[in-house]
Amino acid sequence: MSYEAIAVLMFSTFMLLLLTGQRVFGAIGFVAAAFALALWGEGAIEMPFASTITLLNWYPMLTLPMFIYMGYMLSESGIASDLYRMFHVWTGPMRGGLAVGTILLMVAISAMNGLSVAGMAIGATIAMPELLKRGYDKIMVTGVIQAGSTLGIMIPPSVVLVLYGMIARQPVGQLWLAGVVPGLLLATLFILYIVIRCHFQPHLGPPLPLEERQQITWSEKLRLLRAGILPLLIIFSMTGLFVMGVTSMVESSAVGALAATLVAFFNGRITAQVMKDTLRKSLAVSAMFMWIILAALAFGAVFDGLGAVNAIEVLFLEKWGLEPWQVLVLMQLSYIVMGTFLDDTAMLIIVAPLYVPLVIALGFNPIWYGILYTITCQIAYVTPPFGYNLFLMRAMAPKEVTLIDIYKSIIPFVLIMLVGLALVIIFPQIALWLPNQVYGS
Amino acid sequence: MTSIARPMPRSIKAYVRTVDAVNHAVGSVVMYLALVMMALLLFGSLTRYVFNVPFVWIIEMAQFMMAAYYILGGGYSMQIDAHVRMDVLYERWRPKTRAFMDSITAFFMVFYLSVMVYGGWSSSAYSLKYNQTNYSAWAPPMAPIKIIMTVGIALMLLQAISIFFKDIAKFTGREIA
Repeated sequence: MSYEAIAVLMFSTFMLLLLTGQRVFGAIGFVAAAFALALWGEGAIEMPFASTITLLNWYPMLTLPMFIYMGYMLSESGIASDLYRMFHVWTGPMRGGLAVGTILLMVAISAMNGLSVAGMAIGATIAMPELLKRGYDKIMVTGVIQAGSTLGIMIPPSVVLVLYGMIARQPVGQLWLAGVVPGLLLATLFILYIVIRCHFQPHLGPPLPLEERQQITWSEKLRLLRAGILPLLIIFSMTGLFVMGVTSMVESSAVGALAATLVAFFNGRITAQVMKDTLRKSLAVSAMFMWIILAALAFGAVFDGLGAVNAIEVLFLEKWGLEPWQVLVLMQLSYIVMGTFLDDTAMLIIVAPLYVPLVIALGFNPIWYGILYTITCQIAYVTPPFGYNLFLMRAMAPKEVTLIDIYKSIIPFVLIMLVGLALVIIFPQIALWLPNQVYGS
Repeated sequence: MTSIARPMPRSIKAYVRTVDAVNHAVGSVVMYLALVMMALLLFGSLTRYVFNVPFVWIIEMAQFMMAAYYILGGGYSMQIDAHVRMDVLYERWRPKTRAFMDSITAFFMVFYLSVMVYGGWSSSAYSLKYNQTNYSAWAPPMAPIKIIMTVGIALMLLQAISIFFKDIAKFTGREIA
């Protein structure tokens, strides 16, 4: 059998196993172990275990449990409800203002945490009921929260970029910096859309009524501004200290975890039970992520051993005569289609051994590609039929929001994200400018 | 259902109870490693930046802890069903259908984990025999962490088998608790 055929067989077995609903790490690990043994015999039996050593020696991986723990701590800390209240009062008076405030809230949460789940939970439980009560269109609100929460994986710290860095063997510090401008760009595009749409259709996002505004005194407005200080301190103690070179990236994640714990403690939210629940959930989620990475590394090692990437490159460039950028657009399109069916971790398993070496061989920047990958993940999170955020939203949103509402709500935001993706493809500097400034090109 | 379901054999019940209890206990201890890692990393940055005393062992120690953390915690996370599945079809099935399918596809997970245990075993034996050290400034011996990881993977394997029994009990409608 040719190596290309073996590669195709590996991927199709993997897809098939995924459909059975077995745990993703089990499906991918089985394919890796079985093909390693079938291809190279008994000598390859240590191959799947070898990936534990790779993971062990990969320093940035330590940020993962820290950020997961921090995410749970942040949702306990009470920071989010104060922050929401601040944006509510300050942006509420304009048309669509509460929705704009929600996007800003999501940006702040994203800058404090590396997963989209924290933003999702906070948006659906704190912001959503308030917006619905104030007569905001439910489809608009649902879309805002879903799209806003995906910023969590783009704006540093980002766990998705840590995983990408691990598998693509790229420096995480540069990847994180590269995510800053694209993340803010997407947030700006979301806000522009809300403002413009609500300007022409004010019933979608009515401003806060005058009586309610008059009840809020200036002293309260100013007091609420202080709610914004704590998150800024957390962000500074993490990202700030890291950029200034005081702490390493991994150390800043520990600083962030400590800061979140302290805030929760001083807000009186920590009990023995909260602490235990947080630690338990952090362990479960960290183990889940790590085992997928472990299995994906083994899969990637087998795939590398086949040398199939080379064959695919020859196929695209020489047999089909495609330009490198055409291959890139093709890859991204196929990836968006896959993203509607697979979750981001499963996508990473495919992108890692297949796309990343190809991207490098084609002469593209792997840091830049990490950002394209992340935007595609954001789209995958919210696109039906399968997306983490879709399921979470259904679980967390008030009863009046139906599944159809959720599906409908994301259409404009997916279009905006596609625009963002196109912009970053056409102008790589959007992603690369900041890391070049900091690290030199 | 009119037929009175036979309970699962006593030995299987005892196995499931024991393995679940062990993994739950291990998970309840290992979860505190998150705090230990955090403290270690903070201590490392403090000594290096404030007192200008870098300790080469801190980073590696934290890395070893992380490996112990997620591998020893693997069995527990499996027990509480924290591992993601692609639920495109799975979600639509009845609980019994899910249990039936899981009991078949459990083979894949058990196969992978068995290969992992075997690999861990032989890799640990190698490290013990040749006193293998990590390729770093601190150069700690590799055998202890490899043994810990192998034990963790073995615990996961036992948990996977326990879940397999529970799935069988579920779709045949038998008592297992």
